[in-house]
Formats: sequence, C-alpha cells, structure tokens
Amino acid sequence: MPEPMDATSPLLELRGIDKTFGAVQAVRGLSLSVPAGEFVTVVGPSGCGKSTLFNMVAGLDEPDTGGAMRFKGRGCHARELLGRVSFMPQRDLLLPWRNVIDNAILANEIEGADRKTARAKALRMLPEFGLTGFEAQYPHQLSGGMRQRVALMRTFLFERELMLLDEPFGALDALTRSIMQRWLLDVWERHRRTVLFITHDVDEAIFLGDRVLVMTARPGAVKLALPVNLPRPRPAELVTSPEFIAIKREILAAIEEESMKSFQSSGMAA
Amino acid sequence: MRGVLGAVLIVLLWEGSARGFALPSYTLPAVSEILGGIWAQRADLLSGGATTLLEALLGYGLGTAIGIALATVITILPWSRTGIMPVVMAVNSVPVAAYSPLVLLWFGIGVSSKIVMVTLAVGFTVFLSALAGFDRVDRRSVDLLRSFGAGQASVLWRLRLPAAMPLIAAGMRVATVRSLIVAIVTEMLGARSGLGWIIYQAVVQIDFVQVWAAIFVASAISLAFFGLIGWVERKVIFWR
Repeated sequence: MPEPMDATSPLLELRGIDKTFGAVQAVRGLSLSVPAGEFVTVVGPSGCGKSTLFNMVAGLDEPDTGGAMRFKGRGCHARELLGRVSFMPQRDLLLPWRNVIDNAILANEIEGADRKTARAKALRMLPEFGLTGFEAQYPHQLSGGMRQRVALMRTFLFERELMLLDEPFGALDALTRSIMQRWLLDVWERHRRTVLFITHDVDEAIFLGDRVLVMTARPGAVKLALPVNLPRPRPAELVTSPEFIAIKREILAAIEEESMKSFQSSGMAA
Repeated sequence: MRGVLGAVLIVLLWEGSARGFALPSYTLPAVSEILGGIWAQRADLLSGGATTLLEALLGYGLGTAIGIALATVITILPWSRTGIMPVVMAVNSVPVAAYSPLVLLWFGIGVSSKIVMVTLAVGFTVFLSALAGFDRVDRRSVDLLRSFGAGQASVLWRLRLPAAMPLIAAGMRVATVRSLIVAIVTEMLGARSGLGWIIYQAVVQIDFVQVWAAIFVASAISLAFFGLIGWVERKVIFWR
C-alpha cells in the first residue's frame, strides 16, 4: 500500500450518513466500517439504497450534512474520493470504440500513466482474467462473461486500496456467475484489496464475503452485520454445508422482514 | 445491383418518352441530348463545377468545425445553453436561403458569399446533431470516468466525442447534399461562376439542355460527395 496507515482504524468508515433526493430519503443513519484487506458484501431488498451508498463512496454523490465519512482514518468529503477508489458499476460500460486492452487501461490513462507501460502491464494480466489472445478484440465481439472480466480487469488495474463492485455478475447466467465468483476469489486472494461488493444474491454475498451487511428497506441503513467465518479458499460445495446454510437462514430472515416492510409501505402508498 | 437496374430503367423510360412523344427540349430533353450537351459544354461545366465544389467543400469544412465547436462549448458550459440556443433556433427557423440576399450584400457576389451560406447551412445541421449526440451519452459512463478522477476535458475527449460520433456523422452525411444545394441556389441569385450561375444564364437564354446538363453535373458531384462521406463514416465508426 502506498501510504502508511494506522493499523487499528478501518480503511473506510461511515457514521450516521443521510442522503435525500428531493422528497425521497434514500439512506438514513447509515453506519458501516470496512477494515483494510476485508471482503465486505452488502445485500438488501431492491431499492434499499445500495446504489446510493456506492455512489457516495465512489465520490459521485455528496451525503447530506450531518454524517461523517472517514477514509484511511481521516474525515473527508465524498468528492475527495473521486479517483481514490476503484469503482465497477453494474453494467460493464466498456467503450465500444476501444479494444480489450485499451478498455482495460482506461482508468490508468485518465490518471496520466504512460500508455505503453499500461498496455504492457495489461497484456501480462490477460491470462489471469481468461482473456489471452483477445487483446485486440472489441466489446461487441465478446460474450457477456468476457466483457465483465474486461471491466473487472479495468477495476484491478486502477490500483486503489478500496474496490467497489456493484452487482458485477448480476447480468450473467447462473453457471457463468458461479464460475466468475470462484475466479474472483482466486484473483482477490492473490491481490488482497479491500472490497465492498453489492449483490442481491444471498448465496453470492456469503460465498464471497468475510462479512455480510444486510440493509434495511428504504431509507437504507445497515440492519445486520454478520461475520462469515468460513475457511478460505472456498470450494463450490461450500454452499450446501450446514454452516453456510445457518448463516443463510439468518440473513434470509432479516431480508424477509425488510422486504415485507417495504412491500407493506408501498402497498399503503398506492 | 438492383439500384443500377433501376437507374438504367429510368434512363430508358426517360429517353423513350422524350423521343417517342417528341417532347420539346423546354419540357424534357432526351437523356442522350443532355449527355451531348455536357460533352459540348465540358470546359464551362468543369470550371463551373470546380467553383461550386470549392465553395461547398470550404463551407462544409468550416460549418462542420463551427457546429461541433459550438456544441462542445454548450456541453462543457451548461449555463451557456440558455443564451445560445434561442439565438440558434431563431436563425434556424427560417430556410437558410432566405438570408442569401443579405449575405450577398455583405460579402459580394464572389465566392465568399457562397462559402458563408454553405457554412451557415452545414453549421446548423452538424451543430444540432452533435448536440443530440453529446446529450445522449450514458450518464453512468460519465460517472464511471469521473470516479476514475477524470475532469471535464478528459470526459469530453475520451467519452462524449466518440460516443457522439455516430450522430455527428449522420448529420455530416445529410450536410453533404445541403452544402451543394445551398451553394448552387446562392449562385443563382448572383455570382460570377459556378453551376448555379450556369443554370441561371441558361434559363435566361432559354437553353434547357444546358440547364439539364448543369443539373446532371451537380447531382453527380453531390452523389460522389455523399458516397465519400458515407464510406468514411463506415470506416471510422466501425463499432456499430
């Protein structure tokens, strides 16, 4: 890591964050902390403010005044995080006029890195991302899973302590998704970045995470923070083990409760 | 192939009806007669065509540059939109040709007044399509680049401009034909040379074969220009 850091303070800390869009309160009293090197997953009912949380941590949206945001132990505004976390949105958002390599080095190019050096580095990373031989292909020539891997490669190449992944596998079919999950863990164990990962898939959240955060219905806050003390590396069969099922049961109960709440309140509004 | 067949059929029909009904040349001269006229007047048509093409190309280049530049300014400085757009829309609400008497008065009957007119016509077309292209850029892509620390200029260069290219190119393709039309129409209102001027003179002299000859040359140039830009468009915007 480029800057020395107080080992005891978490990499990212949010305390009592609110965010309102017009009349809608998306997030209320949101508090969470992400220790360095941890893989934290976030699940919750749809429309619970997960994306709002991500946009704030990515620096794209400023939270309402009142809450506190700390990054590397220092209080900061959201906008100061622009360029300091590597963000991967739901859709791959590859640029159709750039080939695989040039899409992968987009963030490095924006930072002002030398293109030749960045390309060489990306070329060496291709095998790890299962893209060997595809460096000169364009996005429209790739499958959904491959496009997602290019987007992940772009995120990894933008070397920041904190990686934000917003449902990166949401658009993939179940089989490809499970392969990509194991592959992501594999890559992550070698690179050891801190990860904040949004998903609506409870299995995915438990399988990947060191800790699962369950969010409440809107306005979003953290309802439950559950450590996942399952050994790594995690085999595919893990999802059927009793320990896994026990965690899943607890999380599902919490989500169920929140989904009912949002269902009832929207039912009353209509 | 079907296009060629259609064109041949039309020419044959034209030739047949002009000769078969023995139509006088002020109604419709036969195609062969027009082609003969083109050959007979080749020196005049060549220099006239060169003048018109020069006006159209210069105006086209200037108009494209100004159109894209203006759209870029509005995109970078959103507050300037409310100042610029009403003026642009007011000027553009009248056919460009309506301004030609004024432009002829201001810039004389030489080449420069035609270049100004073509610049205006092409400028509007490209400006509006470029603006639509810039506006259409996916908000999430902009956010992604911002999260990488990209500033306005970087977002414009790496995202907005290439993303707007398909629409800009479509505008530029439409503008090719407009550039020649406007050059010729302006020439007909006052000029020293050019295809429009040849048409005007031929009408005054009641030489309708020559009118048609100039029209044929003008549409050949126009088609070639349209085809060239279309070809470049397909090469540049390969990802569609």
